Amino acid sequence: MSSEATSHESTGEESTGVPVHRARFLGAVLFAIYCIAYATFVLVAAFGTFKGGAAVGGLAAPAFGGLSIAVVAGFGLIIGAFLLAAIYAMFGAPPRESETEARK
Amino acid sequence: MIYHASTLAVVVFALFVAAVLALSLWLGSRTKSSGGYFAAHGQVGWFVNGIAFAGDYLSAASFLGICGMIAFFGYDGFLYSIGYLAGWIVALFVIAEPVKRLGKYTLADALDSKFNSRGLKLVAAISTLVISLFYLVPQMVGAGALVKPLLGLPHWAGVAMVGVAVTVIVSTAGMVSTTWVQFIKGTILVAVCTLVVAMILNRGFAVPSTPIASTEVQTLVKSADSMTVNGAPLAPDNQLDSKLRAAHGTGFGSVAALPGGVERTGPLGPLGFFETFSQSTITTWKKGTDAAGATTFTPVERKGADLLLPGANPTFKGVRDDRVASKLDFISLMLALFLGTASLPHILIRYYTVKDAVSARKSTVVGIAAIGFFYVLTLYLGLGAMTSGALDPTDSNMSAPLLARTFGEGLFAVISAVAFTTVLGTVSGLVMAGAGAVAHDLMKDVLGMRMSDAQQVRSGKIAAAALGLGSIALGILFEKMNVTFLVGWAFNLAASANLPALVMLLFWKRTTKQGIIAAMATGLVVSLGWILASADTMEKVYGYSAADAAAKTIVPFSQPAIVTVPLGFAVLAVVSLLTARSSKSNAAPA
Repeated sequence: MSSEATSHESTGEESTGVPVHRARFLGAVLFAIYCIAYATFVLVAAFGTFKGGAAVGGLAAPAFGGLSIAVVAGFGLIIGAFLLAAIYAMFGAPPRESETEARK
Repeated sequence: MIYHASTLAVVVFALFVAAVLALSLWLGSRTKSSGGYFAAHGQVGWFVNGIAFAGDYLSAASFLGICGMIAFFGYDGFLYSIGYLAGWIVALFVIAEPVKRLGKYTLADALDSKFNSRGLKLVAAISTLVISLFYLVPQMVGAGALVKPLLGLPHWAGVAMVGVAVTVIVSTAGMVSTTWVQFIKGTILVAVCTLVVAMILNRGFAVPSTPIASTEVQTLVKSADSMTVNGAPLAPDNQLDSKLRAAHGTGFGSVAALPGGVERTGPLGPLGFFETFSQSTITTWKKGTDAAGATTFTPVERKGADLLLPGANPTFKGVRDDRVASKLDFISLMLALFLGTASLPHILIRYYTVKDAVSARKSTVVGIAAIGFFYVLTLYLGLGAMTSGALDPTDSNMSAPLLARTFGEGLFAVISAVAFTTVLGTVSGLVMAGAGAVAHDLMKDVLGMRMSDAQQVRSGKIAAAALGLGSIALGILFEKMNVTFLVGWAFNLAASANLPALVMLLFWKRTTKQGIIAAMATGLVVSLGWILASADTMEKVYGYSAADAAAKTIVPFSQPAIVTVPLGFAVLAVVSLLTARSSKSNAAPA
């Protein structure tokens, strides 16, 4: 194996104990939250919005400020993805690169 | 059939391409090693890599396709924005960091990291090439489709321009130049689209001087060597929208009535835009055929609130059907978009350009921010185009450039150049993924060709040049085919073939190489077979009528992911359990 590949494996979280578990647990929780939100959106769109071809609720229902659930949920899933990613980056972070480099 | 060739657009595009090629040639003189060529030395900064993710991922399908679909059908196009972005959550939480740690240059590196199996590398390389091909063709055809109305050049010229530029970009400095092209493209695309959205909000909505009646049908007749519009030959002063413009001061796509009966809203806020739109009545256009065989476009007034719900587009019409089977297509496509992103080879190889797993995570977050922001803009862009009075009803892909034209020739020229740049950035990534699969996986690892570092780089460049030239041929060959949906197929294939293998390799210790090979082969073959046998393909590719396609198909719905992804997991689990003992006994010493 090349030195470059070896270098890849020795960096990151594998060499640390607690941060790996913390990051993985937090990542799993955030991933589960998003999966539930996305699945709910898809299922409500498919089964909860139309009956007999007419909008009866679900995504067609009003949310706030004259906006429907469809618009709010769509933006929510996009912006929510970024917020979860930012939380993961901040609180599920492995050691900073400088610390990782120091341990090498 | 609304042609607006622009000299300024040609000049802006030429300047941009010249700058990109000059940058590539300069970077090429500094890229000598295989690590540099295939993975940019693993030293790309996380922020640059994150924006390059956006440049790689935001393809012509994202920019032109989604904006066009929203402009024609409303919320349905936005479903793609949601699904494409949601897929990055899988990439961030499941795939990014382990793939970075396991691999070196290609997807096959990561999958084969524990097994050292030629068979596995072969299947992974084939999967990479097939998926990249499905993604590549629509980009090239899209480039050709853009040049005629935008630059006044024939289809082949657009395909050739993109193909030659990409071949130079990838053959000179490989992943280094590809990264910088994608970074520049991502930055410009998001910045220009933000500017256009600000102009849309500042302009607000307005109704035409006189209302368009439902009887004002526009007709188009195409023959082998001529075209007539509303009974007269197509000419610069007789475009498809000329009659409408003369009578109403607007073309296709306009507001019929605003809330409160006002004629103009003035500037709107980001939320007020949707509130006003949902309370407005919009004039959309329905395509049809008259008794004489002419293509007709009939005005149809629709409530804005209805256009902000799914189900108007043929792809998603099942959402409004009460039968469960009709809804499976929609659910399956949304599943494919969610799971496919993290399995696309040209996205995965970007993880090898950063130095470690920490950078991989950071760059994914930056990528999600940039891509998510762009997808938020798509709903404004699409609805802005829908009400701009500038749509070409024969070509939804032209919606974004034609929207920009309503703000001036300069913005039209820039958007046209950005559209080409969009193709350049994505095709570069795809060719790079293919070159890695050929030179690194097939030639070096599968065929066992002994190559020095310099020979690996040379092989990669030759493979890139061959793929670039091949992509030109495919772009010209598939000119007449409706290929937009191939991107959706690529997501289905990636989710079915690659995702089960990646996830199980990372999270199930009993995974064997036989299990991965069987799962990838099954996912690829079954999902491809399903797609080729679907009613959607029979209608759009084989040319059957909708009724004949529905009668002939042997699969219950067109999008296979909901079946083929679980199938991939099941095959991998069963084969791994069956081969676990033999794998242990045959395991090579470390």
